Amino acid sequence: MNVAASGVWQKNPTLAWREIDEETVIISPGESVMHELNDTGSFVWRNIDGHRNAEDLASLLVEQYEVTRETALADTISLLEELSTRKLLLPAGSQQGDSGR
Amino acid sequence: MRQAHAILGSGVHAHVDLLIGSLPLRLSSDDSSLLSAAAKRYRGFDAPQENRFSIKIQREPAPTPERHSFSCDFEGARVVADADGAYFSGVRNEYALDSLLRMFLSWALLSQQGFLLHAATVVKSGKAYVFVGRSGAGKSTVASLSPRGTVLTDEISLLKDVGGEWHAFGTPFWGEFRADGTNTSAPLGGIFRLVQATANRVVPLRPSELLKTMLPCVLFFSSQLGDNDRLLQILVAASEQVAGYNLEFQKNRSFWEVLPS
Repeated sequence: MNVAASGVWQKNPTLAWREIDEETVIISPGESVMHELNDTGSFVWRNIDGHRNAEDLASLLVEQYEVTRETALADTISLLEELSTRKLLLPAGSQQGDSGR
Repeated sequence: MRQAHAILGSGVHAHVDLLIGSLPLRLSSDDSSLLSAAAKRYRGFDAPQENRFSIKIQREPAPTPERHSFSCDFEGARVVADADGAYFSGVRNEYALDSLLRMFLSWALLSQQGFLLHAATVVKSGKAYVFVGRSGAGKSTVASLSPRGTVLTDEISLLKDVGGEWHAFGTPFWGEFRADGTNTSAPLGGIFRLVQATANRVVPLRPSELLKTMLPCVLFFSSQLGDNDRLLQILVAASEQVAGYNLEFQKNRSFWEVLPS
């Protein structure tokens, strides 16, 4: 199992972000870069709390959307990988604080 | 009668008072030539006001500053600012001053529920129409196709929440089209993303689309998380409260016919 699947993640506390129209817009102040998440991506982002792992997040997706557990888990792992590659997520506990709103 | 430009006996300016986006500023410097250039450049935005925000300007570069609420460098010049005043250093000419003033305003407007946007603004029938786009999108074209005296700016628009209603203000920052320097404001009639096309058409944008349209065109220079968080909050509010559209337009005056009144 890869890191995204087994690890626990937290939002990078150096980011500013807001939800609008069930989408999420994230800006990285140091780089002046904008990132966007669609509705399901926003749902996962909202529930990333430094405690839930990929399986926990996939379970929430199954409860919220009409999707199989297998698909939900695959999509969640893919998203976590993408977000961590972009440094929007950090391994839980690597930095204190979370600017979630 | 108070004067916006205090002039010493020799005709040298001691300070220049400005009002930009209803933000009262006092530029002061020992460099009389720089202040004279500022007085000329920002003519039309001069206004005597009480409780002005002090901006001290010097031609010489300043040593590395202590920690400030906002700081930004630009080609050897630097702006540092706090709640009680700002310092511009390394200001060798009026163009450097103009750049630092834009940087400073992008930060100062946060406390005013406002922001600067790469956009042309035209007032028609008492409403401000904001045309947003990067270089080459058609901002100056739109400005040139609008009746004289109605263009607040063809380059940098100032948008601000005024008592629950979003207004556009004129700015002294222009691109190719030199506006008349009128320092006025009007409630927003809409924000339009410019798309050059063979026919005129407006298509409404969802708030999220408007936000993503504006974000790359916002002038902002602070790397502080709190400032960026505040900016995003302001932009989301504007996106939810102001009507946004895609404007597909031809390069002639006919596009005005499809704009919502």
